[in-house]
Formats: sequence, structure tokens, C-alpha cells
Amino acid sequence: MLNRRDAFRGLALTMGMVSVGFAGPVAAALPPLAWTPAALDAEQARALDAAAELIVPKTDTPGAREAKVPQFVDRAVATYLDKPQAELLKTGLSQMNADARAAHGKAFAELTGAQQTALLSRYDQEAAAARKAWKPRHFFSLLKEYVTIGYFISEPGATLALRYEPAPGEYHGCVPLAEIGRAWAL
Amino acid sequence: MANLNGRSRQENTYDAIVVGSGISGGWAAKELTEKGLKTLVLERGPMVRHLEDYPTAMTDPWDTKYPQGKLPAEQLKAQYPVQSRTGYTVNEYTKHFFVRDDENPYTEEERFDWIRSYQVGGRSLTWGRQTYRHSPMDFEANAREGVAIDWPIRYADLAPWYDYVERFIGVSGQNEGLPHLPDGQFQPPMEMNCVERAFKQRVEGRFGERRITMGRCAHLTEPTEEQLSLGRSKCQYRNMCMRGCPFGGYFSSNSATLVAAERTGNLRMRPDSIVTSLIYDAKAGKATGVRILDAQTLKEEEFYAEVIFLCASALNSTWIMLNSTSSRFENGFGNGSDQLGRNVMDHHFRVGAKADVEEFGDKYYSGRRPNGIYIPRFRNLGDAATKKDFLRGYGYQGGASRPGWDRDLAGEGFGADRKAAMSQPGPWTMQLGAFGEILPYEDNRVTLNHAAKDKYGLPTLSAKVTIRENEKAMRKDMQAAAVEMLEAAGFKNVMAADMGYAPGLGIHEMGTARMGRDPKTSVLNAHNQVHECTNVYVTDGAAMTSASCVNPSLTYMALTARAVDHAVQAKRKGDL
Ligand SMILES: Cc1cc2nc3c(=O)[nH]c(=O)nc-3n(C[C@H](O)[C@H](O)[C@H](O)COP(=O)(O)OP(=O)(O)OC[C@H]3O[C@@H](n4cnc5c(N)ncnc54)[C@H](O)[C@@H]3O)c2cc1C
Ligand code: SF4
Repeated sequence: MLNRRDAFRGLALTMGMVSVGFAGPVAAALPPLAWTPAALDAEQARALDAAAELIVPKTDTPGAREAKVPQFVDRAVATYLDKPQAELLKTGLSQMNADARAAHGKAFAELTGAQQTALLSRYDQEAAAARKAWKPRHFFSLLKEYVTIGYFISEPGATLALRYEPAPGEYHGCVPLAEIGRAWAL
Repeated sequence: MANLNGRSRQENTYDAIVVGSGISGGWAAKELTEKGLKTLVLERGPMVRHLEDYPTAMTDPWDTKYPQGKLPAEQLKAQYPVQSRTGYTVNEYTKHFFVRDDENPYTEEERFDWIRSYQVGGRSLTWGRQTYRHSPMDFEANAREGVAIDWPIRYADLAPWYDYVERFIGVSGQNEGLPHLPDGQFQPPMEMNCVERAFKQRVEGRFGERRITMGRCAHLTEPTEEQLSLGRSKCQYRNMCMRGCPFGGYFSSNSATLVAAERTGNLRMRPDSIVTSLIYDAKAGKATGVRILDAQTLKEEEFYAEVIFLCASALNSTWIMLNSTSSRFENGFGNGSDQLGRNVMDHHFRVGAKADVEEFGDKYYSGRRPNGIYIPRFRNLGDAATKKDFLRGYGYQGGASRPGWDRDLAGEGFGADRKAAMSQPGPWTMQLGAFGEILPYEDNRVTLNHAAKDKYGLPTLSAKVTIRENEKAMRKDMQAAAVEMLEAAGFKNVMAADMGYAPGLGIHEMGTARMGRDPKTSVLNAHNQVHECTNVYVTDGAAMTSASCVNPSLTYMALTARAVDHAVQAKRKGDL
């Protein structure tokens, strides 16, 4: 018997095939969570896992999931963020699931890629508005910050998406950017 | 008496004792041992062996415990409330090289940022390595302006020692031929980047008296035989120096002076040894040794020597002297002048400007240069054109760079486009931050506080230090002239900033046992000997009679080497 998750994977696959040629984001297929959360509940962790990959997707370089960014954010909640920040992130992730259910009857991780992207775009606009109005920080801004940090300090992020040189050996003060190609990790 | 562990006096006797193993103590140890004296170095902090004890030197960004190596706010607040005030010194990579404030208390009558490293090597491991000579003008300023007291030495007294120290530590820099920033024995300068080169050309073309030069820093760009023989090598442009350098690329006690001292066979290093006071023999009129508290066993012990060098850093050498009372020295050791603990100076900073640079978008740099540009003092140089309504002057440290992926973490957007944008460097920015001279004021002072004891039951220091009108007037000019230069260079969105300064934050505390000619108005003589007890030398920042506006550590090193030379000659002549 197919369990719910497998059924969804099949569906996502079909959708992915259907959506070839349409320029929207490909649905983030719902894999079993490849890690055990330390601070988040299972549903928050799944929402994080899906959102992180949309914030820093796989392109010609690895995406957030491959760089283990969701684990990094979960660990930051468990060991690093102060209480108000940790709460903001956790309630934010739960909010994502609640909003997803209200709109589509499913948890965030189970939505189509287009639905997920639409929801994140809404949060992003709300976050920008809050920032401009000097209002308290929107959870999505904090989430994006930690996903971004987690990605660019990860080994794939630092060495593939950026350029990383532990001991450069020399300094050259004026070289064509094209020769280097990307920003330095440090 | 006090040899509680029963060792004989002879066993605890050396030719020389050095208190502290930081920048000054490392130099005293090297010079004394190389001149053949059996030397004991007493260091209050734990052992730090070069290479072996740099646990984070090779940590990659993905291997940190916390995001970007930043410590949790709660930990900073509980353990490093003062050390973290700099905003850049205490993190996961470096925290083991700074003191825990909760374990090392002092009293702030006014806010005073006392940034300390207690370990073998002291702050030579964590310093910023900017290295400049004081100029003839600096040594003459007090006398000329009638400020405080005159220095008992002149530039010419120190010049050969500057040469000597620079050759050994290795300083990279550019000779400029300026009387107010003397040239030195330099290895090749580091390179300016495109924006800095343009800035130099445009600003020097516009203002005759302003020079833009490469920062002079204690890094090896062309190591000498001697430096190679100590196991040091060329700087690798990692800019992770504060973690300890596995290449010995920058000067520290651990990579250089202590290695040189060790190889003479005359050094004994005793870490975990808190020197609590000097032992004074009233009959002989000499100090015979020091008392320590062993930080591990909590036992007291005494060590003896014919000559003693206090190099525990300005405020700690002062603390030892204030805590060394006897019927001869009721108010602290050698404190007949009542100047001990007074005239605390530092450099005031955190004021300047920054700008966006809308050019050179197709240019970048490679390597992480642990250094920036320097603009030597250009105010009050003795002519009418540079005269301002305050005394002394300031220099700028600065530089241009392109921000990386973390430039706008909370900015709008997400997804592939944002990822691609963040994988590219941001536009160039250039900033200038001034470091200004603080005058010596008698009531800028540290005192011994018997009411507040530390965990060893020892009295602690209390600090009351403020900046005055001269510094405040200077700060306005420090900001205005930075704006003026960035605008003259044609850069955009020039923004001025005074981010506020609290004494101590410059981490150049000095002046609390000043040198002078007259024992009535100074603690030390022209050779850093305590006027009232000449076999004790104090050669760290405490000795400074005025502050100049340049980073001070090179001067402590030169004073130390010169004082050891004096001490060894005096000892030979039987004059100690
Ligand atoms: C982040 C930072 C950046 C800096 N940048 C620069 C710069 O660019 N240029 C510059 O010139 N200077 C710079 N400095 C300042 C420089 O580090 C100090 O001027 C220099 O280290 C002072 O040398 P010192 O030997 O007097 O003291 P320290 O290097 O502090 O060494 C003193 C030693 O004495 C020990 N000690 C203290 N009390 C006792 C006691 N009672 N018994 C036994 N041992 C004791 C301490 O544990 C310590 O090891 C910087 C400092 C810091 C922290
Ligand atoms: S930049 Fe130079 S001195 Fe600093 S850690 Fe690297 S090699 Fe060492």
C-alpha cells in the first residue's frame, strides 16, 4: 500500500514532467526528511527543509539541501539564537504550515513548487514592508538570513558557489573580476 | 621565609627576572638571554606553544560550532562583557586568547575598556600588528607645549633600537622621507588595490601635505635568514592572524622572541605565575626578587634576581608596583612622585568616513591582505599651514574593499537570482578611520582597590579616565578631513561617522609610570629604571611620557631592548 508520502512523490514526479517548458519553479519533491531535528518539531523541520531549498536553490552549484542548510538552521535554533529569535523562527515555520493548510489544505512541504513560491513571495513582501516601517522583524527575514549564512559558510557554498582559498599565499590588488569569477568566501 | 614549597633560595635565584611574556616581556627575555643572563620569565597566564596551541588556526568556516564563529549573545554577556566591546576581538576562533571578564574584575569609575590577553605571548598573539616609529616631534612636544613633563630621551636615543627591533621582527612598509613619520628597516610593502591607488593619486594631487602610504605592519614579506632560522616564513595573506599564525607570518613573542630566547639555553619560562609584588631590601636599597601566586596550586613562592624587568603591560606593571608596599614605599613601589597610576593615555578613534566607489566594477583582488593604507599625521606639523585649534594630531588607517555575500542578508528577494547576485562581489567601498593622540592628564588615573578582591583574594584596579576638550576638538577635525579626502577623490555617498570612543578601546593603554628626568615628577629615568630603585626596569606602555598618535608597541620593544642593553652594562660595571 502506498503511504501518503510515496503517493505525493509520485504526484510530484508527474507534475514535474508536466511542467517541463513552463518557466515556473519545479515542485520541491517531498523526500523523507534526511535528518533529525534538534530544536524543531517534525512539521516545522519539513517546512524549513522545503523553504531553504527555495531560498537558495540548486543551480549550477549545489542548493541549500545538499549543503545541509536546514540542519544548520535547526542547530542555530537549538544552540545559538536567543530566545525571542528562536521563537520567531519556530512560530514562523508553523505559520507557514497553517497558511498552507488554510489556502490549499496541505502542509507547506506538500504544496506544489509554485504554491510554495507564492507563499514565500508574500512573506518576502511583508518582511520588506515591516523593515521599511521599522516594525518588528518578520520571521521570513530571519529565516532567509540564517539560510543564507548557512549556505555560504557550508563547504559546497563556500567552495563552489563562492571562491575559497584557505592560504592565498599572495595578494594582488587589482585583477580583472572575470579572472576570479565569483566573490571570495572570506 | 615564604618559600612555602621548601625550595632553597639558590634554586629560585636567576640573573634576571622578567614579568610578563607579551610584546615587551618577550623582548626582555630575548635580549637578556642572548646577552648570557640566566633569565626567568614569570607569566600569569597559561602556556601557549607556537603552532601547537593555536587550536583554531586552520578551522574552516563550515567547521565552526556557531554561525560565522560568533558566540551566543548570552555567553558574551556573561563571560566577555568588556572584551566584546570592541565588536571584533572575541569570537569562537579567538576567545581563548582573551581574558574572561567574569574572572578578572576591575572597577570602572567611568567606562574603561580594558582589553587583555593573559597567556604566554600576551597580546602579541592578538595585536593588529600596525607598526610605526614615534617621531622627533613626538619626543619634543611636551616640552615645547608645556604639557605634563618632558621626555628624558629624544628620537636619536631610540633610533638605533628602532632599527634593531624592526630588523628582527620584520616590518613591511614603504619609506616616505617624512620627518614626522620616520622611515625604517622595511621589507617590501604590501600592495594597494585599484581603488586605494586611485585615492592616493587624487588626494596627494589635491593636498600637498597629505601622504597616502601602505600600512606598515609586522608581517614578513621577504624573510631574512634570521627569521627563517627561527622557523618563520612569508605571510600567506590569510588574515586570520588573531587565531595564531601557523606560518609565523606576523611577529609574536611565541613565533619570534621567545624562540630566540629558548635557543640560548638561558631561558626558564614559568607560566601560571601571578607576580603579586616586588621584594624590597631596604638596607641594600634594592629589589631582591618577586613574590608570585601559582595560579594552579595557589601556593606563594619567591624568586630572586639581581635585575628585574616589569613587562606585564602598562596597567598590570602598575598594579604590581601599587601592590608592592613597604615602610620605604608606603604608596607603592618607587612612587615618591605620586605619579604611579596617573596619566593614563590611549588613542581615541572610531571616527572617520566612508564612501561608495562607482568605478572599477570590473576589478577585484585576490588574497586577504592583513593590512590597510595609512595616512600619516598632517596637522600641527610646526608650520602655519598645518596649525589647528587643538594640540597634536592624528593619522588614518583605512582601505577599500568589495563586500561579499553577507552584504545584505535581510534584503529583498530569494531564489536563483539572489543566489547568483550574492555569489558576486558588491560594489567597492572605501573607509578611513582616524587614531588621535590623547594628552597626559594627571587625574586620568588607575588606583588600587582593596575593597574589591579577585578570586585569588588580590586587590584589583579601579579606573577613572576621560577624554577632554583637546580630544573632542580633534575628533571633529578627524571626521571633517576624512570626508574632505573621500570627496576630493570623487567617491560617492560620503558618510561621516563618529561611533563614539571610550578610553581603553584603542587597546593602547599607557603612561602610568612615566619616564622623566626628575624623580619628583616621574617614576622612571631615561633608561626605564625606577628612579628610587634602579635594579627594577619598567619597559612596557607604563613608561610612556606622551602618546603620539601612532600605534605604540614598536616603541615598547625599542625601549625594552635599549633598557636591557643598559642593564647588562650596568651589571657588568657593578652599578645595579
Ligand atoms: C586587538 C588588538 C589590536 C592591537 N593592535 C595593535 C597594533 O596594530 N599596533 C600596536 O602597536 N599595538 C596594537 N595593540 C596593542 C598591543 O597588543 C600592546 O601594545 C602590546 O601587546 C603591549 O605589550 P606588553 O608586553 O606591554 O603587554 P602584553 O602583550 O599585554 O603582555 C603582558 C603580559 O604580562 C602578563 N601579566 C600581566 N600581569 C602579570 C602578573 N601580575 N604576573 C605575571 N604576568 C603578568 C600577561 O598575562 C601578558 O601575557 C593591539 C592590541 C589588541 C588586543
Ligand atoms: S595573514 Fe599572514 S600573518 Fe596572518 S595568519 Fe596569515 S600568514 Fe599568518
